[in-house]
Amino acid sequence: MATVQERADLLNKLGLDAQNQAAIGRVLGTGSIARATERADGTMEATIRIKEDEIAWDPAILVLPHGGDVELTIINDDKNTHACLLPSNGDKKFIWLLNHSKGRARLNLDGPGYYWYSSPGGNDEGRGLTAAIVVLGEVPPEARLDRPDQPRR
Amino acid sequence: MTVEYVDAGEAIDHGALSAASGTAPAVANNVNYKRLLDARSEPENWLTYYGDYDGKRYSLLDQINTENVKRIGPAWIFQAGSSGQIAGASTYAFEACPIVVDGVMYVTGWDGWFWALDAKTGEQLWRYKHAVPFDVSLCCGNVNRGCAVANGKVYFVTPNAHLLALDATNGKKVWEKTTGDVRAGESATLAPLVVKDTLITGSSGGEFGVRGHIDCWDLETGEHRWRCYTVPKPGEPGSETWPADGEAWARGGANHWVTGSYDPETNLYYAGTGNPAPDFDGEVREGDNLYTDSVVAVDVDSGRIVWHYQFTPHDLWDYDSTMEMILFERDGKKLLAHFDKNGYFFVLDRTNGQLQHVTPFVDRIDWGTITRDGRVTARKYPDKEGEPVHFYPGPAGAKEWTHAAYSPRTDMFYVPVADVGATATRRRREFKEGMPYWGAAVQVDIDNMAGSVSAFDSHGEEKWRWRNPHPMASSVLATAGDLVFSGTPTGEFIALDARTGDELWKFQCGSGHHGSAMTYSVDGKQYVAVPVGWGGWLEGIIPGMLGAGHGDALIVFALPE
Repeated sequence: MATVQERADLLNKLGLDAQNQAAIGRVLGTGSIARATERADGTMEATIRIKEDEIAWDPAILVLPHGGDVELTIINDDKNTHACLLPSNGDKKFIWLLNHSKGRARLNLDGPGYYWYSSPGGNDEGRGLTAAIVVLGEVPPEARLDRPDQPRR
Repeated sequence: MTVEYVDAGEAIDHGALSAASGTAPAVANNVNYKRLLDARSEPENWLTYYGDYDGKRYSLLDQINTENVKRIGPAWIFQAGSSGQIAGASTYAFEACPIVVDGVMYVTGWDGWFWALDAKTGEQLWRYKHAVPFDVSLCCGNVNRGCAVANGKVYFVTPNAHLLALDATNGKKVWEKTTGDVRAGESATLAPLVVKDTLITGSSGGEFGVRGHIDCWDLETGEHRWRCYTVPKPGEPGSETWPADGEAWARGGANHWVTGSYDPETNLYYAGTGNPAPDFDGEVREGDNLYTDSVVAVDVDSGRIVWHYQFTPHDLWDYDSTMEMILFERDGKKLLAHFDKNGYFFVLDRTNGQLQHVTPFVDRIDWGTITRDGRVTARKYPDKEGEPVHFYPGPAGAKEWTHAAYSPRTDMFYVPVADVGATATRRRREFKEGMPYWGAAVQVDIDNMAGSVSAFDSHGEEKWRWRNPHPMASSVLATAGDLVFSGTPTGEFIALDARTGDELWKFQCGSGHHGSAMTYSVDGKQYVAVPVGWGGWLEGIIPGMLGAGHGDALIVFALPE
C-alpha cells in the first residue's frame, strides 16, 4: 500500500501527474482535492480552475458537505478557450470559458454520491478536463428503511 | 501586472442551446382521476403506464389493422443522445412506455431524463434532466419505465430514488421527495401510478438486500400518505415465514419495481413483488419469505395488505413477480392474470386472492413444478456450497419484466416468452449494506435459447406461437385493429395478426427492444410509438447479446398520408 507521498511520487515518476507525458491526457482522479465552504444559509461555495497548460480541473475532486445548492466560481487561467458542463437538477449547466476568463454556476445536487463534470469542447474531451464533485451525507431520515442499523463496511 | 479576467457570465441550462421551445400546451391540466378511471374510452390518448388501470396494454384504435399494417413506416424519430460521463454507461436502456395527452407525449429515459414531445411531429418541447450520481447502485441498469400525469403535472422517479412532480407545460420542478436510501442500495425505476388524489410508487434494490416497500404520496404537495413494507417486521402478519432469530427479514427484498394495476371497485392496488435476498442462498432465510414473489392487494386508502398470493414460496432462482397483473372478467368473475418468471401462468380471483388455476407457458421448466391447483414442489436449486446447479428458466425468467397484453376482442393474452436456462453455484457471503447480495455465482446460458410471442386463452391453453431465435425482452401491445406489436432483441419491430400469430410487418430499428410500445392518435391519425434502446440487465436476460450496440431512439410509425 502506497502512502500519500509515495502515491504522489509515483504519479510524478511515471509522468501521470501531467498531460502528455505518460498518457496523452491527465488520468482521471490524479489531481488535487478540496472542500467547498458553506455560508450560514447552507449554500455552499467553491472555486474550480483550469491552470495554464495543465488541461485539468483544479481541484480534481471537489467535496461538498451535503446536498443542496452550490455556487461555483469557474476560472480559466489557460491560454486556450475551454468550456464547462456541470450536473444540476433540472438541466446540466453550460458555460463557455474564453482564455483568461471567470464565470459562475449555480448547481443543485442531491447526494450522497459523486458526479462527473467536464469541458465538452471538441479539443478537450478525454484530455483530462473531467473532474468530480463528491456530495457527502445521508438521505433524509424519513427516506431510510425501517430496520435495525446494518453493517456497511 | 494583474490582468482582469474576461467575464464569462453565469452558466446556463444546457437545453437552452437546443431547438426546444421550453413550453408545451397545457393539455395535462384537465387530466384528473375521473378521466383516468375511463382512460380506455380516450383511445387517442395513453393516460397511464399500461394505458388503463387494468394493465391490459390494449387500445381501441383500429385505423392501423391487419389489412394495412404492411404500409406503415416511420413518421418521426426522437434521438436522445448523451453528453459527458453518465451513471450506468454500459447498462442504460430505453425501457419506458410513453404517455400521450391530446397531442403531447411525455417520455422518460435513463439517467434522470424526461422529455415532452409534440406527438404529431416529434419536436422536442421541453426537457428535464435530473443529476444522477455516477456511483448510485443500479438495480439493474440505468433505466426508467415511465411517468404519470394528472392535474397539470407529470411525475417520475430517478435512479437515485427521488420522486419529482414537474409542471407539464415547462418541465419545471413543482415538488420533490426522496423515496429511498441510496447508501442501502435502493434505487427507483418504475412509472408512478395516479390513484384518486395520490400517487403510488415502489422501490428497486432487491439484489442489494434492502426491505421492499410501496409508498403513497399526495398528488399536489408530495406529502407522504403511507408506506407498505413488503417484508413484515417480527410480530407482524407473515413474519412467521422468516427465521425467528436474526435479521433476514430486514434484508429480505420483495421490491415493487414495476407499476401495479388498480381496480376502483375493490379499491385495491395489485402490486407485484420481487425476489427475496439473498437471491440464491435460501439457507439463511428459512421459510416461505412473505411477501416476496407475490401479488399483494393493497387498500389504496390505508396501505394495508388485504390479501396476498405467493407465486414462488422460498424462491431460490431469482423469480421476481413484479410483472403486470392483468385485470379481466370471465363468467362474471373479477379475475387477475399473471405470467410469472417461474414459467407459470396464474389466474386469481382478484376480490380475495383465491387461485383459479395454474398452467405453464414456456417449454422448459425444471426448477420445480406447480400443479394446476397451485401445489409447489422445488426440484433443482443451489443448496450445496460450491456445487453448480443448472435450471430452467434462468433468473431473468420465462418472461422478464416486459409486459404481456390482453385483447378483449380475441379473449387472448399475448406474452413475450424467454426460454433460457442458467447455472447458479451457491457462494455464501456476509451481508453488507450497499453490496450486491446474491449468495451465488450465476451464469446464464449463452446458447440453446429460444423466444416467442405466445398467445393463450384465459384458461392457459396456447393458441399460437410466433417464434424467435432469441428470448423476447420487450413488452407486447394489442390493438382493436387485431394487431399485436412487439420488438426483438436484434432490433426488428414486428406486427402480428392477433388471431393467428402470422407476421404481417416488420421494421429494423437499429437497436434491440427492451421497452414498451404504445399507440395513440392525433387529428384522427393513428401512431404506434416504440422506444428502442438495448441494454439493462443483459447478462441475465440474453448474455449472447451483451455486446450489441446501445440505442436511444423513440420511433413512431404511421400509415402514409
